[in-house]
Amino acid sequence: MSMSDDLKAIEAQVAEGVAAAQSMEELEALRVSVLGKKGQLTAIMRSMGKLAPEERPAMGQLANTVRANVDAALKARRETLAAELMERKMAADACDVTLPGRRLTPGTQHLISQIREEVEDIFCGLGYTVEDGPYIETTWYNFTALNAPEDHPSRSAKDTFYVVDNAPGTVSHAEETNVQGESDILLRTQTSGVQVHVMERSKPPIYMICPGTVFRPDTADANHLPQFTQIEGLVVDEGITFGDFKGTMDYFLRQVFGEDRATRYRPHFFPFTEPSCEVDVSCGVCGGKGCRFCKGTGWLEILGAGMVDPNVLDNCGIDSEKYTGFAFGMGVERIACLRYDLPDLRMLMTGDMRFLSQF
Amino acid sequence: MRISYEWLKSMVDVPEDPAELVAEFTRTGTEVEAVEKVGANLEHVVTAQVVSKKPHPDSDHMWLCQVSVGDKNVDADGNPVPLQIVCGAQNFNEGDHIVCAMIGAVLPGDFKIKKSKLRGVESCGMNCSARELGLGSDHEGIMILPEDAPVGMDFTDYLGTSDTVIDCEITPNRPDCLSMTGMAVEVAAILDEDTHVELPSVKAEKGPDAADLVDVTIDDPELCSRYTARVVRGVKIGPSPEWLARRVAAAGGRSINNVVDVTNYVMYLTGQPLHAFDLGKLTERDGRRHIVVRAAGDGEKLVTLDGQERTLTPDMCVITDDGHTPVALAGVMGGLDSEITEDTTDVLLESANFSSGHTSRTSRNLDLMSEASIRYERKVDGTNCANVAEIAAALFEECCGAEVCPGIVDVYPGEADDAPVQITLRPSRTRLIGGADIPEEFMVARLRRLGCSVERAGEDALSVVAPTNRPDLTREVDLIEEVVRLWGEGDIAPTIPAARNHAGGLTPEQRRVRRIGQVLRSCGLSETSTYCFAATDDLARLGIPETGRGVPVKIIRPLVAEQSEMRRDLLPGLLRSVAYNLDHGVSNVALYEIGRVFFGHESKSLPDEPSYVCGVLCGRRADDAWNQRFDEYDFFDAKGVVEELLDALRVTKVRFKAADPEQYPWLQPGRAAEVVAGGGQVVGWVGNVHPRGLRAMGVEAPVVAFELSQAALLRLAADQLSYQDIPTLPGVDVDLAIVVDESVTCETLMQRIGSAGGKLLSDVRLFDVYRDPVRVGEGKKSMAFSLTYRAADRTLTSEEVEKAHAKLVTKVCKSTGGEVRS
Repeated sequence: MSMSDDLKAIEAQVAEGVAAAQSMEELEALRVSVLGKKGQLTAIMRSMGKLAPEERPAMGQLANTVRANVDAALKARRETLAAELMERKMAADACDVTLPGRRLTPGTQHLISQIREEVEDIFCGLGYTVEDGPYIETTWYNFTALNAPEDHPSRSAKDTFYVVDNAPGTVSHAEETNVQGESDILLRTQTSGVQVHVMERSKPPIYMICPGTVFRPDTADANHLPQFTQIEGLVVDEGITFGDFKGTMDYFLRQVFGEDRATRYRPHFFPFTEPSCEVDVSCGVCGGKGCRFCKGTGWLEILGAGMVDPNVLDNCGIDSEKYTGFAFGMGVERIACLRYDLPDLRMLMTGDMRFLSQF
Repeated sequence: MRISYEWLKSMVDVPEDPAELVAEFTRTGTEVEAVEKVGANLEHVVTAQVVSKKPHPDSDHMWLCQVSVGDKNVDADGNPVPLQIVCGAQNFNEGDHIVCAMIGAVLPGDFKIKKSKLRGVESCGMNCSARELGLGSDHEGIMILPEDAPVGMDFTDYLGTSDTVIDCEITPNRPDCLSMTGMAVEVAAILDEDTHVELPSVKAEKGPDAADLVDVTIDDPELCSRYTARVVRGVKIGPSPEWLARRVAAAGGRSINNVVDVTNYVMYLTGQPLHAFDLGKLTERDGRRHIVVRAAGDGEKLVTLDGQERTLTPDMCVITDDGHTPVALAGVMGGLDSEITEDTTDVLLESANFSSGHTSRTSRNLDLMSEASIRYERKVDGTNCANVAEIAAALFEECCGAEVCPGIVDVYPGEADDAPVQITLRPSRTRLIGGADIPEEFMVARLRRLGCSVERAGEDALSVVAPTNRPDLTREVDLIEEVVRLWGEGDIAPTIPAARNHAGGLTPEQRRVRRIGQVLRSCGLSETSTYCFAATDDLARLGIPETGRGVPVKIIRPLVAEQSEMRRDLLPGLLRSVAYNLDHGVSNVALYEIGRVFFGHESKSLPDEPSYVCGVLCGRRADDAWNQRFDEYDFFDAKGVVEELLDALRVTKVRFKAADPEQYPWLQPGRAAEVVAGGGQVVGWVGNVHPRGLRAMGVEAPVVAFELSQAALLRLAADQLSYQDIPTLPGVDVDLAIVVDESVTCETLMQRIGSAGGKLLSDVRLFDVYRDPVRVGEGKKSMAFSLTYRAADRTLTSEEVEKAHAKLVTKVCKSTGGEVRS
């Protein structure tokens, strides 16, 4: 047999072997048998020197071609086998994607804090500051400075927690002498006192909200808590109008309850605002037609508000002729109830993980 | 305030449909609580008579009655048959005329009357109270009709015309609206209509002058600014005429007799409370009765009309008979002894003005509210007392057959204070505050409708005098409020203020407090809220010393004993929440709260109110899952949370020092650490809560907890620390296991390794702690560290690393007494 026949036979043999190879190992054995040190093709390449010089170029060219074909065939088969192998591996790796994932179970924020932060963010967006003050206040900051008359029922021990005063008469505004025969020191019943503190220490323009815990002697039941959360707001600036108040409330309430909600302003009475009003939003359950949720009225009462009474500004050393303003207050628990239809407010205070983790 | 539409209609033109007025009330600030139809739609409700009344065989408070309803209930032959009705009321007798709801009736509030059995006895209807019929608030007993009432008549027909009652809530600034005349003025102003109020006057005065029969002394004008007395003689006590009884009922009162009804009617009409004394029961001296109005004595007693004996205080005001015996609690309720009875013939009528503050406190302190006290509390129009007495006297004449004595005794020390004030209203200011272009003509017209006198007093000035029954109108802004509410707050265009020269947003501290919450939540803790109240023994139960926590802030009248003071630590509240969860079958609890505590001072009025961050962990992070297992929370879970938090706040120089059990007796010794940062500043603690304290709080599972001072966290928190180069050259990792005595802490070892490693040591990580009495030795532990050596400027050779490591090992072993574990 001539060398060229041998080369062709090797090429044919390799083509056959490659097609038959079912694994990388078989393919490698085939490669070694042809291209390895003792391989058939290697042997032929080595024996090239024994050929007559005139035969060498043609035979060399043929040998190189065969070698290139063998390489290519091996490579192609290797890629095919690798792809098949990957498919098999992936098939073996398939899982039930409906099995639960591996979760990190982060904690949740208390419902009231969520609403509080949401409201803070809305008002920060309008350029307000967020202010804070003491929970334990004097009657001056909680009532008198806010224009609440001495005999206002809210001052009575039925509506206010008074605490023991360890040093009667030592706080400023000592003219407050136990108006209700109890003490001049109390747990704040509203966050309004913060407004007085802010007006005392800073000059207008004032744009602020004061969210915080307040206390009233209501025995805890489904609809009452002796400790709850209020958010009040105050604006004092030149030229502030009732229209400014309405625009601000409309914007705020739609941010909280949705763009499609209507608002209603009902004149009302509060000692520290005049004109005063209560603000309702249209019921989200019935869209204002009237249902069980809104007791058939189509409206849900949300906040009390009004233009700051000039007495309050004067009490805080602000020129009530130059500046006007508005103030508003709302209960955060009330918003929570309206949004989530909570059956019992006490859930907010138990720390029940099953409740907290819902929000 | 209950407003009879029929009555209102007689004084001002109102829309046919009360709903239209209700909408106008809402728009202008009168809150409507309910609208009731009375006298209509009361089918199957008939007038009736009690034929017999016997005790229920199986109840000690119910009665078994036979009630005749005339021919409304007949047998097969058409003969009237009484109904058997079981009734729980106590105020009726056999023979009384009553109102009966028969089977099929539907009473207000969708209350359907059906045949029923009460304690085994069949009942075929119900005897009705006024409230059940929507005729008033009286629910003390069933409604008793006059003896001449027919039996078996449809109750609607018996009542005559039907009426609508609008029940309004009147805000405390509007005493005028607690009267029908005041309400008529308000409605006239809302609707821009005229009022047409006709008030009766006495036709003929007879007999001796009132001043010859009565004199009045006011001890303290602060308690009583005016007291008028009229005298009528020869009254014939009896039922009221039907119109009077109906109006009293519509207003929410109960018809008692003609004299009492007249005083109540006139009060509902004018807002001026009246009181009728039986003149004959007052002591006569020198031919006259002597009314003395004075402060009550401390502990003085008076039996009020409701039969209760009241103990009085000097803050209260009493009407006395000649200065001695109290006969009425001024402004609140009359006394039982001088009450009008069937035998009364001569009446002393009081129309007076008592201090709103004293009346309001008296009523509150005695827990005794009356129609009179509600009105005095909000201020009564002192200028009107005599006019109102005239109206009442005229009605005594008309409805009680009385002779009215000429004249009135009128003591009026507060007259000067009752004078109306002049207020200047600037239309421009009104428009500015309202934010609406309200025409001056509107202001003038509506203020006049409200009873103000209004005159132009300059370019931008109206001179306004408010009516004397409007104590709420004393300043310009009070008038602006009136104009704005009548204009319609809803009609003012919304705008948003420009807020020039003002910037808002959260402060860095506020953002950091939010960050604290975010980190704790990402660590798996849920935020909760607990009460700021505490029980007096909360600290003691856990063994938390009072040192450094001031004195407790004590609540004067706590609602419950467990909430009698303000908390001085957050831990007790959170442990209660853990107990709540465990008691309700929730075993995995991870909670945190950021809240205030209250440290009172012995010699200061106001306490300190620092905020703390407290967390509790109990059980496991989650129940085991198909691909995850969780261990019970231990000390290192809580410590890990604290470390994450301090890291996130960029707090530096953090150290955890074994907590001294003397200082932290509420924590488990050996499982608690004091958290120190920033070079020795105590931030708080972390550790296992002492099992003894847990038991005292009702927690039957281990709890790890931490409590950190918010102030310290915020003080030590820093902005992002500066950037560190990321290594570009490879480091060499070498493991080192070193056996040391148990007493050598991880912190010590880390420090020694750090200082021995020199510049080339770039990282140290503890990856194992191993104890074995045989392989490691008793009282010893093996600590395995992974050390990384690296130079920033070159790749280290193995010789360099080996040299550095050998030096480190020698130094560390020497300084800690440890040896390398091979």
